[in-house]
Amino acid sequence: MRRFLLVLGNDVRRHLKSPVVILIFMAIPLFMTALIGIIFAPRTEGMELSPIQLLLVDHDKGLASKLLLGSFDVDQMKKMFQVTVTDEAEGRKRMEKGKASAMIIVPERFTLDLLEAKMTVLTVVKNPAEQFLPDIVEEFVNTMAVMLSGAVQAFAEEARGIRAMLDGPIASFPWDKLGPELGKAQKKMVAAEKVLNPLLLGLKEEETQAAGAKTRFTQRDLFSIMLPGMAIMFLLFIVQTLMRDIISEREDGKLRRMMTTPLRPMELIGARLASGWVMGIAVLLVMVAAGSLIFRAQWGNFGYFLILGAAASFWTAAFFGLFHALVRNRNQAGAFAAPIILAFSLFGGSMMNAEAMPKAFLAVGVATPNRWFIDGATLVREGKFPALSLLVLVGSGLVLAALAVPALRRRTWV
Amino acid sequence: MLEIKNLTKSYGDVLALDRFSLDLKKGEVLGLLGPNGAGKTTLISILSGTLGDFTGTVNFQGRNLFADREVKNRLGIVPQDMAFYDELSAMDNLLFWGGLYDVPRADIKKRAAELLELVELAARAKEPVKNFSGGMKRRLNTAIGLLHKPDLLLLDEPTVGIDVQAKVSILEIIRNAGAAGTAVIFTTHQLAEVETTCSRIAIMDRGRILAQGTLDDLVRIVGERDIVEIAGEFAAAVFSEAVKDLAGERVELLSAADGLASLAVSDTAEIPRIMDRLFQRRLAVADIKIKSPSLETVFLKLTGRNLRD
Repeated sequence: MRRFLLVLGNDVRRHLKSPVVILIFMAIPLFMTALIGIIFAPRTEGMELSPIQLLLVDHDKGLASKLLLGSFDVDQMKKMFQVTVTDEAEGRKRMEKGKASAMIIVPERFTLDLLEAKMTVLTVVKNPAEQFLPDIVEEFVNTMAVMLSGAVQAFAEEARGIRAMLDGPIASFPWDKLGPELGKAQKKMVAAEKVLNPLLLGLKEEETQAAGAKTRFTQRDLFSIMLPGMAIMFLLFIVQTLMRDIISEREDGKLRRMMTTPLRPMELIGARLASGWVMGIAVLLVMVAAGSLIFRAQWGNFGYFLILGAAASFWTAAFFGLFHALVRNRNQAGAFAAPIILAFSLFGGSMMNAEAMPKAFLAVGVATPNRWFIDGATLVREGKFPALSLLVLVGSGLVLAALAVPALRRRTWV
Repeated sequence: MLEIKNLTKSYGDVLALDRFSLDLKKGEVLGLLGPNGAGKTTLISILSGTLGDFTGTVNFQGRNLFADREVKNRLGIVPQDMAFYDELSAMDNLLFWGGLYDVPRADIKKRAAELLELVELAARAKEPVKNFSGGMKRRLNTAIGLLHKPDLLLLDEPTVGIDVQAKVSILEIIRNAGAAGTAVIFTTHQLAEVETTCSRIAIMDRGRILAQGTLDDLVRIVGERDIVEIAGEFAAAVFSEAVKDLAGERVELLSAADGLASLAVSDTAEIPRIMDRLFQRRLAVADIKIKSPSLETVFLKLTGRNLRD
């Protein structure tokens, strides 16, 4: 037992003294999770588009163009659009340089034509280098045109009166006649308000409350679902790398030297499997901590998760104990280990959600530790004890260990 | 202390050890000389307990060497491989490897510090071994085998690939171990090493000991004769045929290979006769060397080969 603990302690100390490989393998799943999460997670907070750069050329400088320009000055529009008023030559230069998404050109006599109920045209120049922002501007201008047209037609009589007053010089503007015209318009607006207010149609926002359903799927949820799959995949890589000592020590003479000491083969084999197990648990715990701190991932009951992680690490150590007893050398181990781990991860659900997998994949996945660990982690996250996953991982792990020990025993006879 | 009788080991059809027998006393330092494939490493591996499927007996201090695993506490092994952990320090390596033996925990650290002084690594005791030179690694490799103060120390070519300074240091350690009462067997290709280090030398080839004794004992096998080494462009068979009728008490053909032959002569006056015979047969001679009797000539006589062959 003393020698078993000595070898175990030495293995752990060595791995901690050269942690580069472990750190790289731990950083990869965290990085991949972050990348996938950022790309695919729903934007729920603080994820707004930057304002659309919009140029406005006002050849009219009249009441209607001021109304149009003013419509961009309300709070909601300010969030969407950053409007710069410019002259047409400068505006076109800026558009050619791609400095804005769109440019609206208000023609001369825009106000007068509207008041006279004549056809007039607003021009929207779009930046072809941008995909959808110029279209937003175009749609907005269309809406404004419809609203202005509607308003002009509704107040056509008052508009004609006001238009007639504009023909004379400003000094002789008949201010006394403006009041009655505005009064008529006001009456129409009051009448319209009676029709429109209160609004008969309201809008109520509500989310589904189906049993078990979450009200909103957040980025944090995505990380919580993804991380266990990534964690088991890279746990396999890490434990495989650490347990490669079984072969390398055979090749470089350390195993032979150990066997010249009173150390028994079973003590050495036990220590090797135990060090893979212990390091696996340690690695998982670090990943859990990193996942919680970086992604605010939820793991559920920590005790349950620890038991599940210990079972998965045990399975992994037993599997790679057997694996390294069967391969001939380091090159073979390197060549076979990566495809096996990737196949486990593909079929076991580390690379894609089980719901998105073909049925054949799901059937094969049952034979992988990834499937059982991910299923177990899902149950733990939901507050349930992962009994079936534990049973499968520990049971099959024991079978693998039972096969690994005699195979490794043969390997220690150098 | 060590008694090996009729040890036989084969790899398929190849006989690595052929009824090998050897006795070793306490404090004796035995240098085992032999060309590649002579069976040296096979012998060390069997004595280390890492090679099985052999016949014969090995008794150590009156007990079967392989009967009790605890006997391994009295064996120290220095393998040819640098068998330690590069990522650990010299001190950590000594503590780990020493810990595998039944050395009292309190003694290990003290003993490790003493050994690091002995192999001149004390100043770098806490540095990772991967930063060490080849010579420093060899010294550490040797120190690991000595940590538990073994009664029998087995070293398999402990000076391979190191500088002169490190070699001198390791040979000094071996001599000191013998002086302290440890029985030592070490294998080597280097004749000079056994000449200066060993109290007894054994020459082995094809799995058997051909001759053993002190340096003087072995030199006597060749006698007081000088060795004439002739190099040139000739076939071994033609050379042998040319000097055949000169062979007798005064001239002995030790070895003949294509382009190189060795003869032992009791009088240097025989050399012109030999050359005359070679010229008569039109054999082209490029170089001739005359050597005094040495371990090398003994080895050549016994094995018919140079040690580096």
